[in-house]
Amino acid sequence: MAQPALALRDLVKTFGATRALDNANLVVERGAIHGLIGQNGAGKSTIIKILGGLYKADSGSVTIDGQTLTHVSPRAIEHLGIHIIHQEALLVPSFTVAEALFLGAEPGIGPLLSRRTMRKRAEDIIGSYFDMMLPRDALIGELSAAHRQIVQITRALLNRPAVLVFDEPTASLVRREAHRLFGLIRRLRDEGTSIVYISHYLEEVQDLCDKVTVLRNGRDVATLDPRDTPLQDIVSLMINREIGDMFPKSAVPIGKPALSVQGLTRRGHFTNVDFTLHAGEILGLTGLVGSGAKEVLAAIFGLAPADQGSITTHGKQGAVGSPAGAIRRGLGLVPEDRRGQGIALDMSVRENTTLASLGKLTRFGFISRRREAETVRQLIARLGIKTPGPDARVRDLSGGNQQKVVLAKWLSAASDIYLLDEPTVAIDVAAKVEIYRLLGDLAQRGAAVLILSSDLLELQGICDRILVLHRGRITHRLRPADTTPEEILAAATGAAGLGESIAA
Amino acid sequence: MSASVPMGRPIGAQLVRVTTPAALIALFLIFAAISPTFRTPGNILHILVNNFSLPALVALGMTLVISAGGIDLSVGVAADIAAMLAVTLMEHGSGLGLSLIAGIGGALVVGLLDALLITVFGISPFLATLGVLFIGESVQQLATNGGTPIYLVSNYPAAGLDYLAHGQILGLPLTLWLVALAVVLVQVLLSSTAFGRHLRAIGAEPRVAWHSGLPVRRTTWLVYLLSALLCGLAGLLLSATVKSYVPLSGNAFMLDAIGAVFVGTTISREARPNVLGTLLGVFFFGMLHNGLLLIGWNFYWQQVAIGLLVFIVLGISFLSRRLQTAD
Repeated sequence: MAQPALALRDLVKTFGATRALDNANLVVERGAIHGLIGQNGAGKSTIIKILGGLYKADSGSVTIDGQTLTHVSPRAIEHLGIHIIHQEALLVPSFTVAEALFLGAEPGIGPLLSRRTMRKRAEDIIGSYFDMMLPRDALIGELSAAHRQIVQITRALLNRPAVLVFDEPTASLVRREAHRLFGLIRRLRDEGTSIVYISHYLEEVQDLCDKVTVLRNGRDVATLDPRDTPLQDIVSLMINREIGDMFPKSAVPIGKPALSVQGLTRRGHFTNVDFTLHAGEILGLTGLVGSGAKEVLAAIFGLAPADQGSITTHGKQGAVGSPAGAIRRGLGLVPEDRRGQGIALDMSVRENTTLASLGKLTRFGFISRRREAETVRQLIARLGIKTPGPDARVRDLSGGNQQKVVLAKWLSAASDIYLLDEPTVAIDVAAKVEIYRLLGDLAQRGAAVLILSSDLLELQGICDRILVLHRGRITHRLRPADTTPEEILAAATGAAGLGESIAA
Repeated sequence: MSASVPMGRPIGAQLVRVTTPAALIALFLIFAAISPTFRTPGNILHILVNNFSLPALVALGMTLVISAGGIDLSVGVAADIAAMLAVTLMEHGSGLGLSLIAGIGGALVVGLLDALLITVFGISPFLATLGVLFIGESVQQLATNGGTPIYLVSNYPAAGLDYLAHGQILGLPLTLWLVALAVVLVQVLLSSTAFGRHLRAIGAEPRVAWHSGLPVRRTTWLVYLLSALLCGLAGLLLSATVKSYVPLSGNAFMLDAIGAVFVGTTISREARPNVLGTLLGVFFFGMLHNGLLLIGWNFYWQQVAIGLLVFIVLGISFLSRRLQTAD
């Protein structure tokens, strides 16, 4: 067999307590389109960042065209013909198209092409591969997402790449543009370029790829031919089943509506989102990156308000214009970016816990130390926060305990509608179970819980109902007892047949 | 992202916190050894009143501002505007009280302008207060025919002004009492009030503060107003001492105040601005100005020496911090 164009072997990468990659392999044959799929957090972007030289692997090897690299840097891999089209176009918005194309390729030095020849070549490439003209003086910032991607691809093609890596290339494209991209990718393959295609839209992958590697929990669990494998089997491979029974379920009577959302729309993100969350209920929300699920939470919490629609809390309808307004209505958000939005790392457990509720602990503006200490002591005990003491810096706590501090902040503020965004990401299994127990406990005490998660077993395990968002719309409303993680994932990826689908 | 495991504090982390006090003591001993005049009680009091009090008021305000994640380059303007208004009014026969209140009012306008630019227009504190600094300097020059000082010669409330500058309560100068009052005010605000907790959270993690529903704008307004208030007070005390208003004279406060706050952060475990550290920082600068003068260095070499010493203190501090956090 011919030497593979690209081989990543036994990659291990840990972030703190989390093992993002656990002996992951990816071997790409020459002249093939190789798909890389997995759920959010399976390790897809970590692999690409290691290949791109942005992260350094703890162990493992990167072999390009038979040559094993000792040091992976962006420059080294480009030199060996690997080019990555990143999800977020890494282009300077204030540059012109021409400047962006030639950034880093200074003309006239050594054997490099002269600027004039390169410009000619760029125009040829854009003309022949994309059948269009891009004004070379247009600013990158003025271009559409699709055109920015064309600039990125053209930049890569100028260097005659051996391997071209696409990271979620259709996330920001409309269907017509995506189809054009697929045509381009097939043509490049036919011309001998190897392609790595990362996506979580399964039908795209099935339609386009010659081989597919499935990642799960940082491991490559299978490499298969997507044309011979039923979609359902691929879905099963993607789902993590190693956790076992860890969901302390308890039946809680469902109470009055706590949060009701009607016709919520934010252009470009989500459309006509309707649901009602009741006291005592845990409602799950899931969707792929770019499905709009995250933006729905942001709209409810007043971070990025919706354009249309209404939000009703406890029977009172009104716009939520800021987090402060949301908090006054009883909402509390446990954000995915815990360190940037949830807790102040350099402040103490005590200060973080009472951050959103100082108003209740002050008299004439002065903080009552006794009442503050008492509140914090109770919450540390109730949530089982493992900390050297109330005055320890939150930075020194583990991820799971930091997450509990965020919950403590909202408990202290007496919130009764909890919005959680990927609450168990980067938390070890034992702490996960504790978080589930705490959420169940909250529901038991009459709080309403809305949890956005990509962990489908988690959703099935703790939720009373699950909403699936696909391309900005709620396409499925499922009951955990009547569904399977496979069905949820199929719905989220659009493979379930409902909703829009690119390859259909 | 790095692991969040608890770790023991290396000795370097403890050492860094004594850098500033150690430098302060060492300098004191050096000056005392070289200059007999330096170590007299009279001179120490002189340092406290003339080299310490007014910069301390400004630096206390700056401590609040920097704690809240901002910076205030317009402190000199607030001090000068207060002095300009008060002196002009007194020169035209207004009473002491009215003149002082007008002066403070002028300083507060400067703070309002800072806060307006920062909270409403979203301009970064550095640029907003830099803009106010430029405007404030021009206003003073326009109002004084290009910078002519205004002297109080006749027809002004001399007795009241004298008391402000040289009065004593229980044997201590009034100025020091005012500094003590400001110290208590800022310390209590920072450590015991919701306002202080909020401003520190806003300074440490603005996005966490926003996500936690804190009154970010209101807090920011108050911070810049308080800073302007303290600067205005310093400006009034300065004009009372020199019986005049010298345009742009408040600018000297700005760099010393910023320097003092940052030197002061070195004594805090979390490298936070803090009242005690700021006071040490101000004293450090005040003692340097006074001591270098007494051992006979000329003014320009004094500036070089002060610059070098600040580099050394901050350098040692940040270097050991980097060693501490490297993993």
